Amino acid sequence: MLKPKSVAIIGASNNPDKVGHVILNNYVEGGYQGKIYPVNKDSDLIMGMKAYKSVRDIREPIDLAVIAVPAPVVPMVLEECGKAKVKSVVVVSGGFAETGNVELQSQIVKIADKYQMSMMGPNCLGVMDPRARSDTMFLPTYKLSKPKIGGVSFVSQSGAVGSTVLDLIGKEGFGLSKFLSYGNAAQVDEVDILEYLMHDEETKVIIVYLEGAKRGREFLEMGKRVSKIKPVVIIKGGVTEAGAAAAHSHTASLAGSHEAYDAVFRQCGFSIAHDLDDLLYFGKAFATEPMPKGNRVAIITNGGGTGVLTTDAVYNSGLKMAEYSKETAKSLKKSMPMTVNVRNPLDVVGDADVKRYEDALMAISGDPNIDMIIVIALFQTPGADEKLAQKLIEYKRKMDKPMIVISAGSQYTEERKILMENEGLPVYDSPTAAANSLAELLKYSNYRKGIV
Amino acid sequence: MNMELMEYGAAAKLVNSYKINSIESKYVKNAQEALLFSKGKKIVLKVLSGKALHKSKMGLVKVGLENQKEMEAAFSDLSKKGKKFAPYKIIAQKMAPGGVEIIVGGRNDAQFGKMILLGLGGIYVETFRDFALRACPITRFDAKSMIAQLKSKKVVTYNGKMEAQLEELLLKTSKLLVATKLEELDLNPVIIREDGYDVVDIRVLR
Repeated sequence: MLKPKSVAIIGASNNPDKVGHVILNNYVEGGYQGKIYPVNKDSDLIMGMKAYKSVRDIREPIDLAVIAVPAPVVPMVLEECGKAKVKSVVVVSGGFAETGNVELQSQIVKIADKYQMSMMGPNCLGVMDPRARSDTMFLPTYKLSKPKIGGVSFVSQSGAVGSTVLDLIGKEGFGLSKFLSYGNAAQVDEVDILEYLMHDEETKVIIVYLEGAKRGREFLEMGKRVSKIKPVVIIKGGVTEAGAAAAHSHTASLAGSHEAYDAVFRQCGFSIAHDLDDLLYFGKAFATEPMPKGNRVAIITNGGGTGVLTTDAVYNSGLKMAEYSKETAKSLKKSMPMTVNVRNPLDVVGDADVKRYEDALMAISGDPNIDMIIVIALFQTPGADEKLAQKLIEYKRKMDKPMIVISAGSQYTEERKILMENEGLPVYDSPTAAANSLAELLKYSNYRKGIV
Repeated sequence: MNMELMEYGAAAKLVNSYKINSIESKYVKNAQEALLFSKGKKIVLKVLSGKALHKSKMGLVKVGLENQKEMEAAFSDLSKKGKKFAPYKIIAQKMAPGGVEIIVGGRNDAQFGKMILLGLGGIYVETFRDFALRACPITRFDAKSMIAQLKSKKVVTYNGKMEAQLEELLLKTSKLLVATKLEELDLNPVIIREDGYDVVDIRVLR
């Protein structure tokens, strides 16, 4: 489904307003290298390509069929796919269980099962694999920043959250491995997807938007297995139902369905995001950072106030501020000017240039008392420029402990930020986001080691 | 859901069969029986009814009863109050030595099956809502992480000995939950001390 050698687009159309047109166009213009077969019962030629009346007329092996036809026609189309030995299908069409049409949904599951086709959807955006340049989404590419190729796979039950976050990922330095929007999860569900991504070597980190797990116990078991191999960041959407007020026991009144999900995520060792920002912040840290050995953080800053705020954020996240080793303190006293107070956070002050950051990093990066490093680079100051960004990247490359940057600002800063992120150095806008992301790294690292 | 409250004696038996210590108790029909049960030690008298969840808030618990006079007064007051919650019974219990009140509970979740809960207990349960939840069966790691998750961790267990005890209690309760057909379980409060614990009240809903 994700790396198809051939794709049939059923419901392909010349009309640019039709979903089937957008999907076909994504394959044509996206540089997809496999075979493309437009299928439309009324046209012979679509976007200059030969179109087929039915998928059965293609008479070539088809790895993936994208189905974008009205719901009532889907069973018939699916039946034809089965007879044409199509391996997998993505049913984009809506109008199934989500609108109360449960009967129609179970009908298509039966057909897919009968022909042993794996089926994503219905009512979904489908799948995207930038490496394979395969994209079943009906979102015009000019409206969506294409994410770079990378190691983060994004799983979304919702198409709307999926497309928004995907667009935001396009802005981030870390790239995308796979995107899977599975909609109603009629056949392929979150457990299947987690299992697939667990084995997928291109996926280093999994981020998930979940509304509900269809198979609770299997989800729990699979989640535990995945976490042993790679990190999962998850956010649960859906109405928070407070424990029933008239419950018969205290336990039931405290622990409703929302709390049960939270509990299961913890047991799985998942990193729990509380909003979509967290999903990206945590995903970003997992995508680039090594596992920390402990909870001690060192901060280097060219802004006193931001250093103080970051120190607060570090404590609030449950992490600790590191104490320099004697060697580090000595070396800093030697290399820093009189205006710099040698302590953690290390305020290299507003006139700091590349050289001063470098001296600070040189002293700090090898200190065994330091487990993680936050570099605050406020580019509004005169000494902070492109060269500083380059120097930080250079240090990042040889660093064996987590190192992240906090930079906030508008255009000038944004450009430096993109430069650093593209080179695998994560940049955060806020102290809280930065500290919480490091704390999540540590939590996961501890989970893997069996440390409470 | 139509659930049935398990009779206290049966619930205590169930809990004890998993080597979870519930405090010694006995149904009493009058103050005289309570006095006999007390054997000169302080006791508690409580109204038990399927209709009364918040017993202490409703004044359905009398603690520290020492002599015949106190027991008679308590029994007659509880009998009067109990009528509002009929059918009801009055139970006499030994006083648990002082300690920290916690709640250990369970419920059958539609999605994930049996879940186990640990929280700061007694009258604080619903005020602070400080609890940790896990799906059963739990591992020792889960038990430890449940304790660590509580904001009131240092109140609930202030040393390793108490922590170890609490872990055992959680593991046993998880076993009970997995093996028993029930919808909801409250062990609340459980009074935990350095040298042991007592389950003071039990509710099992099937």
